[in-house]
Amino acid sequence: MRTVMVSALGIVLLAALIHITAVLSLPYLAPKNAWARVSALSEANRMVVLPAASPSHQSLPLMASDVRYSVCRFNLDSGPVRLSTQILDDLWSIALYTPRGENFYTINGRELKRSRIEIIISTKNEVGVKAGASLLDEIEDLVVVDSPVREGIVVIRAPLLGPSYAAQTEAALKRGACSRKLPASNLIR
Amino acid sequence: MRSLLNLLFIFIIALILGLGSAWYMIEEGSALTTSRVGPWSVWRSAGKPDADPYTKAHMARAGRLPITATSALYFFANDDETGNSLLSSCEYVVEGRPLNAAWWSLAVYDGTGRLIPNKAGRHSFNRTDVARRADGSFRIVLARSARPGNWLPTAEQGSLKLVLRAYDLRDADSVLDKAAAERGLPTIRKVVCG
Repeated sequence: MRTVMVSALGIVLLAALIHITAVLSLPYLAPKNAWARVSALSEANRMVVLPAASPSHQSLPLMASDVRYSVCRFNLDSGPVRLSTQILDDLWSIALYTPRGENFYTINGRELKRSRIEIIISTKNEVGVKAGASLLDEIEDLVVVDSPVREGIVVIRAPLLGPSYAAQTEAALKRGACSRKLPASNLIR
Repeated sequence: MRSLLNLLFIFIIALILGLGSAWYMIEEGSALTTSRVGPWSVWRSAGKPDADPYTKAHMARAGRLPITATSALYFFANDDETGNSLLSSCEYVVEGRPLNAAWWSLAVYDGTGRLIPNKAGRHSFNRTDVARRADGSFRIVLARSARPGNWLPTAEQGSLKLVLRAYDLRDADSVLDKAAAERGLPTIRKVVCG
């Protein structure tokens, strides 16, 4: 009787340990996580407009066929990265992710209230911007985002208002850029 | 020898239980991580930096990059209203009222998450391109062959998956409130099979 109790307890404890280990390690072990997929699409600090989702191809799983996406895998190892894009509609959104898929920053067209946006992504205090607020006052369409990670992913989502908007939306996304070049005059390096 | 076999037995049972429960809670979700509203299920903390480990593991396995659940929600349905799997061999009517979101889109995929090829090039209906009744409500028909109105083509065979994405939600909490959501999310009704 005692042996059975001890065995049962051993099974429960060991099972719990295995369960916890599996859950916590999976984000690091999953071979086809979003970071792996985005890394395969392009080099770092380069904006890529994803081909429209179709029956034969989806760059990321469960993409919407009525949304156009562009992605940029940023790397801040050698300094801040600048993201610039048009915002054609209130529904457009810009989302920043850690390599583990944590969406640490999101802003959409309705909140931005402007048709063009520049975002400087930097690790904390690295840009050397004297004061974020005053900088924003000076340059209307510049936003500085502190990134908790040195590498991550930007996803711009552009929902289509209808099929006829596809070409115009894709063209606007193509004009977006992700680069290491900063507007030098306004930032102290 | 006996005790060694005993240990091995304990280890194997623990491995099955531990991995099995982890797999189930990551793949299918549980009350801790997902809400079920009628036929729809939603990962409540998808994309949030402070999400629980199950949600993070699920997203890593799925390879998706959802917008944080504070401003967007993704609802998934593999079953109809009565709990039967969605099948291409059946015809379904999806009816609902517009969600309280700046934009929403209802898309159909096959069971493996691929879009279904069709001559109409139609894979979804969204807030802006769905034909609505005077009171704002809509009716979408899932069927293999063309139907009048909002027709979402399905495949020759196999299971189906519906994804309802809602961007820029006015109030994510109220959508997750079960009673409110049941009034707000579309119903999926089977019409005929064959």
